Amino acid sequence: MSAARVPAPRPDARSFGLLSLTVAATLALHATHLPLWLSPPLALLLTLRWLGFRRGRRFPALLRYALVLTLPLGVIATYGTLFGRLPGAALAVGLLVLKLTETETRRDVHIAVAFAAFTLMSALLFGQSLLQTLLVCAALAPALATLLALQPSAGATRAILKTAVLRLAAALPVTLLAFVLVPRLATPLWGAPGMQQARTGISASMSPGAIGQLLVDDSPAFRVGFDGPIPPRAQRYFRAVVLWHFDGRTWTSGSAARHLPLEPLQALGPTQRYTISMEATRQTLLPALDMPLQAPAATRFTAARTLLADRPVDHGLRYTVSSATAYRLQPHLGARERALGLQLPGDDDPRARALALHWRTRYGDNPVAIIDAALHRFHDDGYRYTLTPPPLGRQQIDDFLFDTRAGFCEHYASAFVFLMRAAGIPARVVAGYQGGYANRAADYLLVRQADAHAWAEVWLRGRGWVRVDPTAAVRPDRISLGAIAAAQGAGARWYQAAWLVGLRDRIDVLNRLWDQSVVGFNALRQRGLLTRFGVDPQRWQSVALALGGALAVALAFGLALALREPAGERDALGRAFDRLQRRLTRRDHPRQPGEAPAHYLTRVAADLPAEQAAALRALSTQFVRLRYASTQPAPRLAVRDWIRRARELKP
Amino acid sequence: MPDSSPQADLASLARLPPALAQVNALVLGKAHVVRLGFACLLAGGHLLLEDIPGVGKTTLAHALAATCGLGFQRVQFTSDLTPADIIGVGIYEQEQRRFKFHPGPLFTELLLADEINRGTPKVQSALLEAMAEGQVSVEGETRALPGVFTVIATQNPLDLAGTFPLPDSQLDRFLMRLSLGYPDAAAERALLTGSERRVLLRETRSVLTAADLLALRERVRAVSASPAVLEYLQALLGASRDHPDIRVGLSPRAGLALLAAARAWALLGGRSYVMPEDVQAVFIAVAAHRLQPQRNAERVALASALLAEVSVRA
Repeated sequence: MSAARVPAPRPDARSFGLLSLTVAATLALHATHLPLWLSPPLALLLTLRWLGFRRGRRFPALLRYALVLTLPLGVIATYGTLFGRLPGAALAVGLLVLKLTETETRRDVHIAVAFAAFTLMSALLFGQSLLQTLLVCAALAPALATLLALQPSAGATRAILKTAVLRLAAALPVTLLAFVLVPRLATPLWGAPGMQQARTGISASMSPGAIGQLLVDDSPAFRVGFDGPIPPRAQRYFRAVVLWHFDGRTWTSGSAARHLPLEPLQALGPTQRYTISMEATRQTLLPALDMPLQAPAATRFTAARTLLADRPVDHGLRYTVSSATAYRLQPHLGARERALGLQLPGDDDPRARALALHWRTRYGDNPVAIIDAALHRFHDDGYRYTLTPPPLGRQQIDDFLFDTRAGFCEHYASAFVFLMRAAGIPARVVAGYQGGYANRAADYLLVRQADAHAWAEVWLRGRGWVRVDPTAAVRPDRISLGAIAAAQGAGARWYQAAWLVGLRDRIDVLNRLWDQSVVGFNALRQRGLLTRFGVDPQRWQSVALALGGALAVALAFGLALALREPAGERDALGRAFDRLQRRLTRRDHPRQPGEAPAHYLTRVAADLPAEQAAALRALSTQFVRLRYASTQPAPRLAVRDWIRRARELKP
Repeated sequence: MPDSSPQADLASLARLPPALAQVNALVLGKAHVVRLGFACLLAGGHLLLEDIPGVGKTTLAHALAATCGLGFQRVQFTSDLTPADIIGVGIYEQEQRRFKFHPGPLFTELLLADEINRGTPKVQSALLEAMAEGQVSVEGETRALPGVFTVIATQNPLDLAGTFPLPDSQLDRFLMRLSLGYPDAAAERALLTGSERRVLLRETRSVLTAADLLALRERVRAVSASPAVLEYLQALLGASRDHPDIRVGLSPRAGLALLAAARAWALLGGRSYVMPEDVQAVFIAVAAHRLQPQRNAERVALASALLAEVSVRA
């Protein structure tokens, strides 16, 4: 280093500490999706660097170069590419921490803060829940505080943090404006963040273990708001897909079922009207309460009355349906439906077929007796409900029915339908959701992925398709409590304590509001909102005008606030005097420019009737004494007395 | 010497109103200017009287000196006046075989420097140095001036031929600049019908003493200025520095002068604390001659404008 070079100013330890805090928060927010080999070493590196900086040490440059080279290699080794959301985040977080190792000047700190802010925002690509958003906002506070701490006149750390939070809050109005007004793209710029975020949920086929994965997933699938009271749990079957075709392993809708006509439905009792708010699924399957009467707009019915959206649900969807809980579905079964409802694969599972034939010969043409026999078998012959069943072999129905006798809804539904078909009763598997959680804080039903369920429908002469839930025969509390509770066994648990349930209810209400109003504010809803105010989002001039106008108003407002005399410095006495002055001004007694307070009050007193004049003069005298007679602040009691008397004055 | 015992303080305070009354009896119809003149003396500052001849500048100076019981010297400034003429000279004394210093008129308690702008800059700066330091150096020896040493200078702003106008830096040495202006009709009638001022001045008895004056100055320094008043004062100073028509605003020394004068004004009002009204009362007298206006602007008008523009935060 040449002697003439002036070293750039080194940031103080506090700025660097705040910067480290910002980076630590960023790292923590990304830790959930960063590879395991990355986060702990980064955290360690950050800590070491922070300690080193405090001791005035520089980070060895060679080690830094080595790390900078290693990072992308590691990312490529993990993801196979440097591009995309996950590799990008890993790279950004890694480089951010490495940036700190070369942060030696104030300029470096500025750059690092900007980079940290960008990386923080990218955490929102992995989740936009209320909690996530609040956490990102909170992590912005130390970032702002770092910038504030760099200023020469920075005060105490507590004051800096307070200022940072206040500034964040001050940014809120403009943020809201931009949120409402900045034009949205109908499809997101980056590769659809909803894509990987979406929970697939129930899919159009059912292979072993498919639902089992869902049953341990606690995330919300959809929420239902009922126009009337929430129906009892035993009626809350939401059908999503009807599975006709079994190949011995996997149940699918089957291509033949696609061309069947819509099954006629006759409501036998009152109907339920409700609105479902779906989370993103990337699928077209839409759950509806058994049995939907009409398909809402932008959706259509399959033959078996499950709803399909016209487009995959990428960003959540709201739709309103009416359903009949007591109904008769397809009283007359056509030949094609009958053939599909009796389809069985090849000649697998001979023991199950034999059992069904045995029932058939024993009960003859009485399907109800056969159904009862099957349900009794499940109930009495040592069948277990478990979310972690032992693996099944090639003959999976036989293995399940006669050997393992352990499983959950998909096993029971699958085996039951197999048995019915083998016994000559048309049957099919229905997959969807069952139960749900009635939020007591706001009248709606929360259905989680864990509420995924599979059941059966059998066709009975004169009654049409009838729902039969074989799982209920094994574990009735699967229906009354839910899958996880049923698998774990009943009993009071700490997380079911009333206060905790109430808290969870309220949090879920918040989440629902957030999802509906913020995350779900898409291009369509923006258009709806803006058109109401006469702004046409299709015409950019119109949007620019609205955006520019609103920003100008916001700026003018902020400027007026900033230029106003600093209110913080005014004490109670000064504010009270201002109030008195405003009142006198309204009564046509304005203060002259540059007029001293006491002079003003005495002058006004001369224009008032005797009694008020005396009161005002007394106020003036007392004000002078409080304000000018001492170099110390006036005693609080005396000030309060003056304020009270000023308020009582009726000019 | 300063007698600052409380009793003496109170006694000198009590003598202030009669002193004011006596000067007002001599200088008719100029109560406000007289009060400002007193405030200037109490604040320990020097006074510049700027006005056309014949409006009573000299009378006011005489009256103040006589009433305050101060030793009084008058020097008429002319272009041939030398510093030695006012400071004094060392004269060789044969008997004692050494130089003896013969003090000039400067060694007095109150010096009236008449038509100061007719003196050469050399004399002016000798006087102003004495005003600033309270002492003079003659032939390598420092000689202290009396404790109450005060200068009242007069100058005629219109008759400028053959004058040396005081530079702004030296105007700053005067705490106040006052103008008397024409008397109003009643005062003028009283002046015309009454006895001659010179006679009246001869008959005037002192109301205060130099010791009283020193005690009162001590008392002025004890007048308290609250944060609110200081804030207002600072607002005025700040406004003078930001004003578009003012080239050079008020200096920190001007701020100190303003505060001292406001304190003296408060004491004259019988208060032990300063109010914004006090600052306003002395502002033009203290500040106007220190403002350096952009061309075509009048100093007093500028000072008034400042007063009107700066709001007093309650």
